[in-house]
This record gives sequence, structure tokens and C-alpha cells, in this order.
Amino acid sequence: MNELGVLLDLPSVRLAILALLLGSLSLPVVGVFIVGLDIMPVRFAMMHVALLGIALGFLTGLDPLLCALVLCAVTGGALTPMARSSAGLSGAMGLLMTLAIAAALMLLSVSGVNANGAFELLWGSILATRPFDVAALAVLAGVVPVLYWLRRRDLALLLHDRELALCSGVAVDRLTLILLVIISLAIASAIRLTGALLVDALTLLPALAARRVGGSLAAMIRWSLVFGLAFNVGGFFLALLFDLPPGPTLVLVGGVVTLLIHAVPTYRKGSPQSCASSSASPLSPSSH
Amino acid sequence: MSAISLSLSGVTCRHGSFTAVDRVDLDLAPGDHLALTGTNGSGKSTLLRAVLGLHRAFTGRIAVSGVEAKGGSGWARRRTEVAWIPQRQAAGRFPLLVRELLASSRNAEAAVRAAVDLSVGGLLDRPVASLSGGQLQRAYLARALGQLAAGAGLLLADEPTAALDFDGQAQVARVLAELPMTVVVITHDRVVADVCGRVAEMAAGRLREVR
Repeated sequence: MNELGVLLDLPSVRLAILALLLGSLSLPVVGVFIVGLDIMPVRFAMMHVALLGIALGFLTGLDPLLCALVLCAVTGGALTPMARSSAGLSGAMGLLMTLAIAAALMLLSVSGVNANGAFELLWGSILATRPFDVAALAVLAGVVPVLYWLRRRDLALLLHDRELALCSGVAVDRLTLILLVIISLAIASAIRLTGALLVDALTLLPALAARRVGGSLAAMIRWSLVFGLAFNVGGFFLALLFDLPPGPTLVLVGGVVTLLIHAVPTYRKGSPQSCASSSASPLSPSSH
Repeated sequence: MSAISLSLSGVTCRHGSFTAVDRVDLDLAPGDHLALTGTNGSGKSTLLRAVLGLHRAFTGRIAVSGVEAKGGSGWARRRTEVAWIPQRQAAGRFPLLVRELLASSRNAEAAVRAAVDLSVGGLLDRPVASLSGGQLQRAYLARALGQLAAGAGLLLADEPTAALDFDGQAQVARVLAELPMTVVVITHDRVVADVCGRVAEMAAGRLREVR
């Protein structure tokens, strides 16, 4: 325990805890939006867009991570019209993924930028969190809960059914645009904490666990915040206690708890188990 | 709330190269009740969706209260004037409570009252996806009645009794018959068609008035 106390005195550990706490206020809510919009491959798409942004940063001499953040936000917003098509946003993610990685590789090749250097920036680490990352998460921690609270009625309708939302006076295109920009920014910010491959621990896992126990959007949001905080803080302290790598520990804690929650049958009337879309497995991201 | 007119002139709707609705003309005065019948795939649902701007690939003129919808704000205004019961009520990929569904009518109080009258008032805190087909249709009808109370003057109902038992069909037919609004109801149910003053049939995208 003494060792834990020493570790907690380290500035990098304190910054990491702050980042995880701030992340817990917004990223699980963003995960609920991702599940609701049925765009679980968004993390892969944004990872590739971020790589393109990093390549642009190297090429232009601007901060590569800032370029990645801005490009992710712009790209997320540009996807809005595709939400209207029958293929929907899920199809758009596949298109975006391939286009972005092709453009990034082309740019890296033509410009002679070191591709390994660009890829390395995608492998984040909680203990390498910078003040800029914390600031980005702080902004999200302020914006996302406020957006949810102000637009909770419209969000519930949009995430349930786009046409019902349209016919209920919801400004569907504008709200979709805002959601996509926030989702893209959140993913780009979270990539710095756990790395691109483990970002689901901060967003999707709390949302998937919450989907099992919450029967409405409001309940899902509340549960996702509880799970997000528990996964983040619990996983991080386990990693510190047992000297484990933090990223994978977070994912394993979140993943195991989510699996256990899904393994417990729910019997109550109108439970969210029966509420989940019959066409989509609640654990579909496991295929990622 | 007051009934409003609907006027369709040379309306043609396409799904890609397929013509679903072919040069349809129709005039409904405020308060008219029209039953729209026809075989599956004859274009009935597409026609109603075009009125709401949910199917935008159409040519011709669609006017509600004499006004054509133009641009995003025009369609948004149209959707406040028209109450809608969709054919396939979305079970949704995400939980929505019956209470939230009714509140989306913009007159939650009236919608909840209608839900009580339609025997689904006890389901307000249930997710819509946990309802039976019949309960869901009643909930959507209650929502539509809330929309009418909020100021909509035209009801478009797409097979609102398809999942109901005989008593339910008769109850919904009574509710529709008593509405002082303009009503277009797609139905294969003779009881519902009988309470409408006008009946039209669609076949292969063409509309023919039969009563």
C-alpha cells in the first residue's frame, strides 16, 4: 500500500487519474450515443482519420494531434447527410475507414514522412497523458452532459427512430451533426488515453453494460456514468496495485463486468433485455 | 384544432427506377375521411410518406391547407400540421418509454388521456419495444390524438388496426369516425373503410375513387 501511496504522488499518475475522472463524465455518454446511432465501427473509422490528420500535421509542421482532432471533428460532421440514406451511418463508417487510411498512406508515401512516427502517436498511454489531453477531456466533460440534459427528449426520439423524431419536430439533421462531431472529438481525445485499440473501454463498454440494465435513455445514461467511473477508476487502481499495464487492465475489467452483466438473465417486465433491438446483438462490438 | 385540406396533383413517387405512385390526383376538403385500399405494394404507404416528406423522390404538387412544403422549415411545419400513424411502428433500436412516445405528440396530457381511453394508460413506464403489436398500435393512435390536440388538422394512418383484435378494430374505427379532422387511412379492414365517407383504391401506383 505504501508503494501505491508513492505512485499516487507521481505527477503523471495524478494527471492520469484526473483524465480518467474527466473522461468518466463524458465518454460513457458518448458511448450511449454511439450505440444508439448504431455506429460501433466509428472508433476504427476515426482512428484512420486521426492517422490522416497526424500525417497532415507532420507535412505542414502543425501539431499532429491537434490536426487529428480537428480533422476528426470535420469528418464526423461531414457524415451527417449519410444518416439519411438507407445504408445509414454504419455503411458510412466503412467508406470513411477505407478512404481515410488510403489517403493517409498516400500522403505519408508522397511526403516522405516517417510512417512509424505517425502510427506511434495512435498508441496512447494513460500515464503519458498531457495537460492538453486533460483540457480536451475537461471541455467534453462540460459539453456532453449539458448537451444531453438540454436535448434529452430529442435525443431519446432520434436514437429510438429517426423518422419518429422527424415527425415529432426534432431538428434531426442538426442534432445528428452535433452528435457526430462530439463523438469524433471524444474518440480522438480518448485515443490518447488508452490507444486506438483500447478506446472502447472508455466509451462502448459502459454503454453496453448500461444498455442491459437501463430501460430508458435517462436510465442508460445514469448507468453508463456509474459503469464508466467504476471501470476507469477500478481498472486503473488494479493496474497500479499489481503493476499491470493500465490500458489492457481497464479493458479487461470493463469487458469482464459487461460480460457478467449480460450473462445474468433479466426477468422483470419490460426489461431492457427484451427492449434491445432484435436485429442486433447487444454485444456486437465484440466482433471488432 | 381545425380540419385542413389536402390536395395532390400529378404526384409520382419513385423508388430508384421503379414507379411506386403514378400521377395521382386527389382533393380532400377539410373534414373529409378517406379510406385508401389496395393490394400490397400498390403505393399507398409511399403516397402518405410523400405527404410527410419522408419520401422526397416525388414529382407533382402536394399541398396541405393550400401550401406546398419547401425546404427544411417547410417540411418541419408540414409535420406539425399532420398527425401520423406509421405502418410499421418502430420497436426501435434503443429504449423509448411509452410516456416519451406520447410526449412527442406535443400535447402529452391529451395523448395520455387518449392512451387511458384506448386501454394502454397503464403502460406509460414500459419501453415501447416490450409492448405487443396491438398495444403498440394503440399507443401510436394515442400519440396521433395528442398531435391533433396540439393543432394538427390532418391524420394520416397507415393500417392502424392491422395488429388489433376484433374489439380493438371496432374501437379504433369508432375513434376515427368521430374525429372532426381530415383523415386518410390506409386499411384492409372493412369496418374501418365503412366509417369513412370516401373510399379510393390504389393499384399499380394509380388511384381510383370507388365511393
